[in-house]
Amino acid sequence: MVGVVAGVVSALLLSAGLLQGATNPWQGLFTATRGAQIWLHLSPGTNVAQLRSQVGGIQAVAGPYQATAATVAQGSQRTRVELRATPSVPQVGRPLLVTGQWLAPRSPDGVVLEATFAQAIHVSVGSKIVLDNVDETARLTVPVVGIAETADQGFYPDQTPGLIWVLPGLLRRIEPNPGHTEEVVGLRIASPAADGFIVQQVVTQLGSSAVGGISTWQQVEQSMARRNPLLGLLLALFGLMALGAALLAIINVTSGRVLIRNADLGMLKTLGFTPAQVIVILTAEHTILAGVGVLAGLAAARLLMPVLLGTVPGVSLAAAALPGGWTAVIIGGTLGAVLLATAAPAWQASQVRPVAAVRALPPRGHLSRLAGTAMAARMPPAVVLGTRAAFVRKLGAALVISGLAIPMLMITIGLGFWSTLNDVQHDPADIGLAASVTVSPGTLTPARAGQLIQADPQVQAAYSCVRAEALTLGETTTITTLGMGTSARPYPFHVVAGQLYHAPEQAVATQALLTALHLSVGQFVRMWFGGVPVTFHIVGRIIDPQYDGEVLAYGRDTLADEGAPTPIGFYSLILRPGVSPAAAVTRLTRMSGGRLDVAQVPNPADQLGIVHVALASLIAVLALIGVTSLLTASLLGQRDHQRDVTVLRVMGLTPVQVRVALMMRTTVLGLVAVVIGTVAGRLVSMELVNAVSRLYGLGAGLGRPPSAGTLALAVALAIGVAALAGILPLGPSSRRPAAAVLGP
Amino acid sequence: MIGEGDRLLLRAASLTKTFSGDGVVVPAVRGADLSLRHGEFAAITGPSGSGKSTLLHMLGGLERPTSGEIWLDGQRVDQLSQARWAVLRRRRIGFVFQFFNLVSNMTVADNVELAALMGGASRKQAAARRRDLLGELGLADKADTAPARLSGGEQQRVALARAMANRPALLLADEPTGNLDSAATFSVLRLLARAHADGQAILLVTHDSRVASAADRVISLFDGMVADDAPVGVPAPPENGSEMPLPRVLRLRG
Amino acid sequence: MPLLALLAKEPAHGYELKTQLEQVFGEAYPAPNIGQIYVTLQRLERDGLVRSQDVVQATRPNKRVYELTDAGREAVVEWVDKAGDGPRVRDEFFMKLALSHLAGTSDRLGLINRQRRHYLAQMRSLSELAASADRSIPRLLIEGAMLHLQADLDWLQRCQEELV
Repeated sequence: MVGVVAGVVSALLLSAGLLQGATNPWQGLFTATRGAQIWLHLSPGTNVAQLRSQVGGIQAVAGPYQATAATVAQGSQRTRVELRATPSVPQVGRPLLVTGQWLAPRSPDGVVLEATFAQAIHVSVGSKIVLDNVDETARLTVPVVGIAETADQGFYPDQTPGLIWVLPGLLRRIEPNPGHTEEVVGLRIASPAADGFIVQQVVTQLGSSAVGGISTWQQVEQSMARRNPLLGLLLALFGLMALGAALLAIINVTSGRVLIRNADLGMLKTLGFTPAQVIVILTAEHTILAGVGVLAGLAAARLLMPVLLGTVPGVSLAAAALPGGWTAVIIGGTLGAVLLATAAPAWQASQVRPVAAVRALPPRGHLSRLAGTAMAARMPPAVVLGTRAAFVRKLGAALVISGLAIPMLMITIGLGFWSTLNDVQHDPADIGLAASVTVSPGTLTPARAGQLIQADPQVQAAYSCVRAEALTLGETTTITTLGMGTSARPYPFHVVAGQLYHAPEQAVATQALLTALHLSVGQFVRMWFGGVPVTFHIVGRIIDPQYDGEVLAYGRDTLADEGAPTPIGFYSLILRPGVSPAAAVTRLTRMSGGRLDVAQVPNPADQLGIVHVALASLIAVLALIGVTSLLTASLLGQRDHQRDVTVLRVMGLTPVQVRVALMMRTTVLGLVAVVIGTVAGRLVSMELVNAVSRLYGLGAGLGRPPSAGTLALAVALAIGVAALAGILPLGPSSRRPAAAVLGP
Repeated sequence: MIGEGDRLLLRAASLTKTFSGDGVVVPAVRGADLSLRHGEFAAITGPSGSGKSTLLHMLGGLERPTSGEIWLDGQRVDQLSQARWAVLRRRRIGFVFQFFNLVSNMTVADNVELAALMGGASRKQAAARRRDLLGELGLADKADTAPARLSGGEQQRVALARAMANRPALLLADEPTGNLDSAATFSVLRLLARAHADGQAILLVTHDSRVASAADRVISLFDGMVADDAPVGVPAPPENGSEMPLPRVLRLRG
Repeated sequence: MPLLALLAKEPAHGYELKTQLEQVFGEAYPAPNIGQIYVTLQRLERDGLVRSQDVVQATRPNKRVYELTDAGREAVVEWVDKAGDGPRVRDEFFMKLALSHLAGTSDRLGLINRQRRHYLAQMRSLSELAASADRSIPRLLIEGAMLHLQADLDWLQRCQEELV
């Protein structure tokens, strides 16, 4: 039992950690870096020394750090960055080194990059990067000495520019003009909820002209969380299952354990323990065992987390750190489940009579017609007896069946998730990511850019697109809309409801947008593009995780027709199958002499490595639970059956027949359970995915049923295990001498 | 003697059983010989620890002898596999243990019927046989009860019915009246007598001399060996002066 | 009768017999006094089962040594081989058991077996009698007898355990 509890606890901790780390790493990072909730970009020379005394609620101030804008040049690619001069390791908002070392005077040119930025531009410790200042008057090549994580800024590229920490000397060399620099100050406040209020006060104190930019922790947190609604979705699903599985496991093992000990408990009663004392003894014992299990689980989780994360890109150890509250909940919940699962059987056990318990059987009378007929029809008696034995105690049979059906149900759901996952990974078109590369004309003319693209043999199809901001009634911010392709040649969105746009003023939208605007498919909506109104007819619904999942897409000719301004144009390229996007990016960049701005479309599926791991481990855990429950049931039945076995042998059942009969017991129950679980699971899994998907704003349509082959394999395995469980604990007993078994 | 072997239902020669385990060696049966003719009723008596049960178990194929031979109806059976023994027991041997004789998750009636079915009877025959046996034992009203609800004595009687349900050539019973009161013992004896009269061969182990005296022969086991094997005869006429067990009054009736 | 059995082993005079009796039976059997022994010996002589001889001793008075006649020997054998009945049979039987070792007349196991067979036969006839008894009082009487028999058989077993 200790093992199961430990396994459950560590699994829950690991999975919660993964969930946290992948979907909302902010909390962990913030705690680990002793972060600041408010970051201010101020004009150079602003005096912040008095801030703490002037504004209440500020615990600590980070900085002020001098910072300047710059660009990193990689070949033809230029990326904007912020250089932040930190003379020493900050105490507040302390960046967490992932690899390499922090800035040191012995390496005055050395720089430390923020982790997600470094990943985005494919730079690691030891490489050299080229820094240009804004005016392009200075250029330095500097070595990257370290990569660190921070909670002060959202992930790149969601929040730009990329962050690089440098020594003050380097900053001055890049940007000698203090007028081009900023002061960056971080405020760590006592009460996070009061950030808005404190910001107001600070701005009042410093004067709004001094304040260039403000960012608060909510923005950062959201930015970090928003990164991947798809990931969040899948991990949330997984989390539900994990919880259910965990509860199941614990209940199973705990109550099974109590039931097995019935004989001992009878003995205790005989010795003179009152029922109340028996309950206390049992509960205490189980709590202690559970406690040991919890400790073991904690330790295991701590050890395993780095290993686990090693297989998964993009999630750091700090990010995966659980806030104390969660850990307490997990531990408390586990112990609670143990106590709960102990309570009922404990009470029942305390009622165990001191004399050997007499099991009350429902008299079935006359070999129940079915069994009798089967026997008379010369069906193998072993099979008939075994099947009959399985159902004699209806409650017991029901428990065994549910003990196996529920894990089976969840495994099937898990397999459904797996196929959904695979589908997303291998068919990104289904989530609107048909194009894997986008190209902006950069310094070329759109026409020239178009020519180059068309000429590239690696490109299967190119769609000319625009991104336009629109306003709708009642919204204070603009909505990003996309003119993808033309009405005649629309971008191949995967439409889950309705149809794609085929005429001007037709549009498709994501569920999130529809919900935000209180619309549904078939309705009309009016939007203003730079003051020009356009009415769209929403003809279909798509799934697209970009732009917070709120996307409205239409043929870009609609805008042209209406005379609306069409600002940012770009190309979405669908590559030929088998062509790697990275290769295409390099190629196009080279072909254009670096003047095309080519970028790879990030595929959220790339980060789904975690989910694969998580799902696989969860399915393993569920399988374990199922096996445990089967073994427990079989063990319980074994005691009853050892003596029956000998009588049956005497009546003339051969050892093989005895084994078959025993096997049938669990096999029949297992079969029923597996069928129930699988069928239900298949029905439920797609619905579940769609439901949670709606929750995350992605809308329904993502769910996929589990693959038939895998399901068949799982079913076969389950039944096989059920059969084995029937005979495994009993192996030698079918041959044991009768006298030994039939002792008084 | 040559001809005798064919008439014997059961013959055991130099049966030995030694249990060894945990470093302790226990010789339970040390070279026992016995034989049983068709339709003969023999009782095995002896103190506890004399190896009676072990001997009986060996004869029923539930224990493998350490050495010795067992012949059942002219067929050598001591080296048979468990599977073969099982088939043998189905039709030819009925066995009653000292405890726990019944399948616990079936009713009394089912237990008896199952034995009959396994012996090859049809459903109707099995049901009839069950009614007959249970009636004879006064347990007809308990037919639908679970074994666990019966007293030890009732269970033993049902076990006897079970063992006889398949009309075995040889009935082996280990203390079939062990837990019974006088009246129950009487009904068991009556059943055995009736079966015996029908030609049933019975070999039972008992410490109850009343049961033993009902047999044709009594085999006395002591310390793993046969100490005496003699038919139960007519008592010698009382000599003058010594007392009969019975008071004078009843002697007149004899 | 026990004297006869003792003499079967070897001739002895009265006092020796008394000592032997005491040795064999100890406290369980009240040793008869020497006078009773001499009286019994004389009676046996008169019945022709023993004969006596005077042995001349140098320093002591003459003692009379008794020994078995052929008739006496036969009687002993007969006595030992026959199973007995009644409550005193226990004592008699036990005597036989204890003395047969000395008398060398028959093996103890055989003795026990014979007695057992006898009891069993009696049990059988009692059993048959009980089956035909239709009134409770006679039946109870019979049952009482059977219980006594069972006790005797159990005691027989104890003897077997201890003495064989």
